[in-house]
Amino acid sequence: MSSADSGMSERVDDREPVRPGFVRLTASDRPGVAQPVPVRDIPPRPWPRIFASAMLILLVAVGAWEWRMRAEGLEAGDIDDGPSAWAEQRRRVDAGEASVVLVGDSRMLFDSDLDRYEALTGVRPIQLAIAGSNARPFLVELAEHSSFAGLVIVGIAHTTFFGPDAGLGRGALERYRFESPSVRASFQLHRALSHAFAFLDDRFRLSRLVHFLDDDWRDGVRIGTAERLWKLGVTGDDRQTWLWPRIETDVRLRDHQRAAWGLGAGRKPPPIADAAIATAQRELHDAVATIRARGGEVVFLRPPSDPRFRVFEEQQMPRAQAWDALLAAGGVMGLHSDDDPVMHALVPPEYSHLSRACATVYTDAYVRALALRTPRVALRSDAPAPLTAADCDMPPADLASSATATAL
Amino acid sequence: MVFNSLTFVVFFACVLALHSLPLPWTVRKANLLVASYLFYAAWNPPFVILLWISTVVDWWAAKKLVSVQGANARRAWMLLSVVANLGMLAYFKYGEFLMENFAALMAGLGVAWQPPQLDIVLPVGISFYTFATMSYTLDVYLRRAAPARNFLDYALFVTFFPHLVAGPILRPTELVPQFESPRRADANQLCFGLALMTIGLFQKVVLADGFLAAPVEKVYDGAKIPGVLDAWVATLAFGGQIFCDFAGYSTTAIGAAMCLGFAMPDNFRFPYAAIGFSDFWRRWHITLSAWLRDYLYIPLGGNRHGPARTYFALLATMLLGGLWHGASWTFVVWGGLHGSYLAGERFLRARYAHLRPSAAQAFALGVLTFLLVHVAWVFFRAHTFGGAWRVLAGMFAANAGAVPVLPAIEIVTTVIIVTGIVAAHAFMRARTLESVLATVPAPVLSGAWALLAFAIVIEQGSGNAFIYFQF
Repeated sequence: MSSADSGMSERVDDREPVRPGFVRLTASDRPGVAQPVPVRDIPPRPWPRIFASAMLILLVAVGAWEWRMRAEGLEAGDIDDGPSAWAEQRRRVDAGEASVVLVGDSRMLFDSDLDRYEALTGVRPIQLAIAGSNARPFLVELAEHSSFAGLVIVGIAHTTFFGPDAGLGRGALERYRFESPSVRASFQLHRALSHAFAFLDDRFRLSRLVHFLDDDWRDGVRIGTAERLWKLGVTGDDRQTWLWPRIETDVRLRDHQRAAWGLGAGRKPPPIADAAIATAQRELHDAVATIRARGGEVVFLRPPSDPRFRVFEEQQMPRAQAWDALLAAGGVMGLHSDDDPVMHALVPPEYSHLSRACATVYTDAYVRALALRTPRVALRSDAPAPLTAADCDMPPADLASSATATAL
Repeated sequence: MVFNSLTFVVFFACVLALHSLPLPWTVRKANLLVASYLFYAAWNPPFVILLWISTVVDWWAAKKLVSVQGANARRAWMLLSVVANLGMLAYFKYGEFLMENFAALMAGLGVAWQPPQLDIVLPVGISFYTFATMSYTLDVYLRRAAPARNFLDYALFVTFFPHLVAGPILRPTELVPQFESPRRADANQLCFGLALMTIGLFQKVVLADGFLAAPVEKVYDGAKIPGVLDAWVATLAFGGQIFCDFAGYSTTAIGAAMCLGFAMPDNFRFPYAAIGFSDFWRRWHITLSAWLRDYLYIPLGGNRHGPARTYFALLATMLLGGLWHGASWTFVVWGGLHGSYLAGERFLRARYAHLRPSAAQAFALGVLTFLLVHVAWVFFRAHTFGGAWRVLAGMFAANAGAVPVLPAIEIVTTVIIVTGIVAAHAFMRARTLESVLATVPAPVLSGAWALLAFAIVIEQGSGNAFIYFQF
């Protein structure tokens, strides 16, 4: 077929009659016969020139958009965490690439600094925590479907462990169980492009930007937390995730993010059913037993939250009933941020997740605390000096150089 | 592999480059065949075997249909093809559905029987390629077409990646002859093909996935009880979503084939401007409705044996057409509704044959068609009858405990997009896209093309599968 063959005409085939109301016949007009080879028209326009002009305009527009998105605080190298990124890390566990695995919800994800962990111990953990999820199904999955025999550090945000399922992490488990070659290749391509283009960010898609215009306009419809969150994190290649720096520096965004948690909006914390608590405790006990049986160990972390948020959390479920009872049921050791002066002094800017600098301080604190309590964590002889809450004020680059200088 | 993925961008660039090399035509066809298998295997490699089975069985059956003597022998080879294809379809698509219904039937008879957990994975596009291969043997059996001259051309007809997993459902006579002589797109075809792909991907990535999917999911999959506004907005959004999703796929497929120098038939002709249901089915999923007409409705008697037989053939065709879309009774009801619409229209046309509707009456009939099509969409989208009744009750103000469900922004965007779609369909009702584009100044086309491409780029997309992949 060529444009010359088609005669640049409106009709497909001049041999065929035109049915009223139709300008091109289709199979619907030819009942009970062999359908002929279709002939498609090419509108008589200068298509190569149109294409070249369109691509030029597109290039300029994308360039302008990239500039605008960088001005919004997006950065190249943020791979946009998702199921494929998680599945890739989970496969590293199967490949025996690490002796420490982090499991948990968004606090574990945002509040752990893998670089700091590695600098202190010489081991780089695999980050399997997922925002908006529940650590329990992932711990159970790790116990039942892997041969991992190292240290599992489980981070929980008060009551998330009692949730009914994996929450927003559901897709990650499914993706790990089956990831088509096409999806896997697309993820690799997307990651490569993300290192060049900052605008590739799921939270800044056109449709999401339009939806962000809605400030609960309609009575009776409150946009959910997951949709309301503008952007919370920045994720690197091995899922090292930080709080988005603009949350720390932009008061409007920080207040927006705080509002998303629903504090002060008369929100009543939903109670946790006894049956859910019992199920969580039983599953934890079984998972810990399975991991220990093959030589592994499980410890728990409770990252810090804002004092106002702590009140809200305690209203929902007192610590004795949640944290303490859980550790007892699982027979595991845990570090609660309320119990450690350094950890307790760290205040998340948007109530729930630590700033990038504070995440380094928190990681430093929990690694040192774990090193005192379990032989699974050992500090290197050339480990950097301890950090304090005061180091939260230091920009990340200065923090790294300071630590290095101290170590030297 | 889906068209709206980065993998496809790289894949298609490689295929275009290979196809443009100065290689013998047979080698270039072999390249296309291998690329098409890769396209399919990129979803789940083992299922390529099913594609091979379907291809080989129908190739041999068609050869035997030509060489054997006697009606019975010919019928036997035709049946072998039909049974092999429908057997695969029955197992993979309807296996669990049949088991569940058999168990329910047994329970109704007082026999307690628990069906085994089969966990059957539905191969992508099986409904499409089995219909394409069946049309090959059926056309040869009905002496409408001769078998392909060589296996490569035939295998490429079955597997050609633009139509493989979600149509348009091609007939062998539409595509096999195109493989007989060398084809390569010229610059105009290549660029216009890319323009069509941009339009298709805009429909899918920006409109269907970006803006219309969310309100549909909130109402149809959520726990809240919708009122009139939410139920109608969600259903209109679904009407827009499924059109943009599937017509977007077809447009992209047609564009991809054009870039390689091949022509594929129209699958959609601005269906929301239809006046009446027979008009709707001449505009919606044309290649499926024509397939069902030629290989089901006409063999069932069509309109050749009196009104009663005609109504039976119509209803049976639409019920099975509904079931083709999915292994659920909700799809059967959707097909039944459309069968009833068509039968009602046929009855009224016969009863009032002398009437010629005025423009205002035609407009009113068009609105009625649009609304009834959307009432039927409720059963297509809802996963259960309970869910369908909940939405239907909302649409007709019969939900006592209704609460607001959709954010205002989703109502606004849905109304804007659906109004735009309907207005575009009304304007294009008796036109083709090509005839309209031929009148648009080149700078406007450049700007519009860049705008659509820019919207796709900044919407980014998440590689969501097309809705019709599951069918």
